[in-house]
Amino acid sequence: MNLYDLIIDKIQQIQDKAKEQEPVTNMSASAVLAAEITLISSVLIAAIMLRRISDILMVVVVLALFFIMVTAMPIIPRLKREQNDSLKSMEFYVILTLGVLITLFYWGTTHV
Amino acid sequence: MNPLIPIMVILPIACALLLNLLHGKDKTIKTLAIMVGVVLPIIPLMTSFGIHYFGGYAPLIDDPTIAQGLPTSITDSALNLFHPAITYAFASAQQLFIFILGIVAFFAIFTSLSETKRVSGVYTFLMFMGTASITAILLSDDIFNLYVFFEIAALAQVGIILCSGIERNYETALKYMILGSIAAPMLLLGIALLLGLTGNVNITDIIYSLKHGLIDPYNPLLLMSCGLILFGWLYGSGLPPFHTIKSAVYSKALPHGAALLQAFSVFTFVALGIIIIRIFSYLPLTQWAIIFFSLLAMVLGITMALMQTDFKRIIGFLAVGELGYIGLGLGMGTAFGITAGLFQAVNEAIITSFLFIGFGTILYKTGISDTNKLGGLLVENPWVAGLVLIAGFAMAGVPPFNAFQSKLQLVQASISAGFPELGILMVLLSIITFMTFVKVFYTIYLRPRPKDLEIINEKIPKATIISMVAFLVICLVLGLFPHLATDNLAQLAQGLV
Repeated sequence: MNLYDLIIDKIQQIQDKAKEQEPVTNMSASAVLAAEITLISSVLIAAIMLRRISDILMVVVVLALFFIMVTAMPIIPRLKREQNDSLKSMEFYVILTLGVLITLFYWGTTHV
Repeated sequence: MNPLIPIMVILPIACALLLNLLHGKDKTIKTLAIMVGVVLPIIPLMTSFGIHYFGGYAPLIDDPTIAQGLPTSITDSALNLFHPAITYAFASAQQLFIFILGIVAFFAIFTSLSETKRVSGVYTFLMFMGTASITAILLSDDIFNLYVFFEIAALAQVGIILCSGIERNYETALKYMILGSIAAPMLLLGIALLLGLTGNVNITDIIYSLKHGLIDPYNPLLLMSCGLILFGWLYGSGLPPFHTIKSAVYSKALPHGAALLQAFSVFTFVALGIIIIRIFSYLPLTQWAIIFFSLLAMVLGITMALMQTDFKRIIGFLAVGELGYIGLGLGMGTAFGITAGLFQAVNEAIITSFLFIGFGTILYKTGISDTNKLGGLLVENPWVAGLVLIAGFAMAGVPPFNAFQSKLQLVQASISAGFPELGILMVLLSIITFMTFVKVFYTIYLRPRPKDLEIINEKIPKATIISMVAFLVICLVLGLFPHLATDNLAQLAQGLV
């Protein structure tokens, strides 16, 4: 199965049951592809900023991210499923962010 | 002291209360709301810059008559400089922000009064209360006073969603309140920690205490307070992880309500962001956190917008994504970057309102926001379609509109600050924003009209068209003469560096 078929398959999976019989349009397929490429390229470009900490770290992280994201493709349909309107998933990410933020600020600045 | 400074907050609150008292008298309500709406952007232009102390309690150093007879243990200490009153500070940047907020509020109220059949009710009350709260947030130099208005603004936002009558609006409002019940107390806890450590809620005094060694800047509780305030900032402005609920909030409000709600988010973002930079700019982690969450908002907001089929949700996600540009400007930490970020905030408030009100005409004519069910609407209202197209171009940063200037400045600032990667990302995501908009425009206006699409045979209200033309003029003026905004903002930016 090539990448395009894989993406089409995933789009069908995330559509509602009622819509499952409907064909995937060119527009939705190209939107997913554009979003996928945007996400991957943005993350990789952002990772280049790690050069301000260490060049070696930057190279390792960029290569690792590239490998992980290429093998995990398509990411966007999964991401969309996570970014839904479910209160449970919103609460999970809100509390996770609060925990990470406080941990980083409380210990990260003076103890690392 | 200038009495017009508190009037900027008191007038919309008084108007909101009066509108409730006049319930049922639609003509009087309409006249009063429009009159006050017109005055809102005029007051900041007439007000001279300065500081207002509630109760008249100026710092002792500024009022020697009060200081007379006090022991030297007070007059010779930092207490002599501290602000005993709730202090509102009004300078050139606040003038511009409150002017733009007033403009958006006026056109949102003006459009709602002409589109809504029933003028009486709490909707206009909530719009005025929300505007008053955000004005107070922009003016206040007292972090606890800011929190009080932050909560009032959150309640006004929930009320605006509840008044929309859109399907499942109650559910979205409830979710927003539940998430707010996690985030807002955390913001309050952060403020309480600041108060506990510094004995002060005045932001200028807190900064004085930090700079003059009255407290340890690396006290773990102070650092935790920074994290908590930053978390409150994410909630107030709708940055990740609150981007999903924020975009849902916009999509469940009426178009004029959504226009005002996004302006609330933009100015809350700016006000709290400036406070975080003022107090905690000595921590490099703060700068990195601002950049991280801004980038996340841009990437998630814009990619998720591409995946949606509801045009209100698409603009909601795009609005969240555009917030990231402002955050990147603030996070760069240079005067040029901060000025460009603040200029982007002004532009975003205008352009997103333009888009919400523009796309609102589709909702007005068809009652549908699902792009799969729309099409061929160009022939119905070619002029309105043209205005919507221009709004989309403006958001993507096409010249000669205002966002082109601010985005160009942001890219230039990122290169001069040593973050060229941010410049590349901003250009890349602007292209995707443009692509998203073109996709929506094509599906709504250009592709063949679905057979089952019913269009209401009612003309689009003139107020809506006037609002759109006014927003277009502002976009053009700020695009051709950006110094009208940046001159006002540069002074604040210089003070933050």
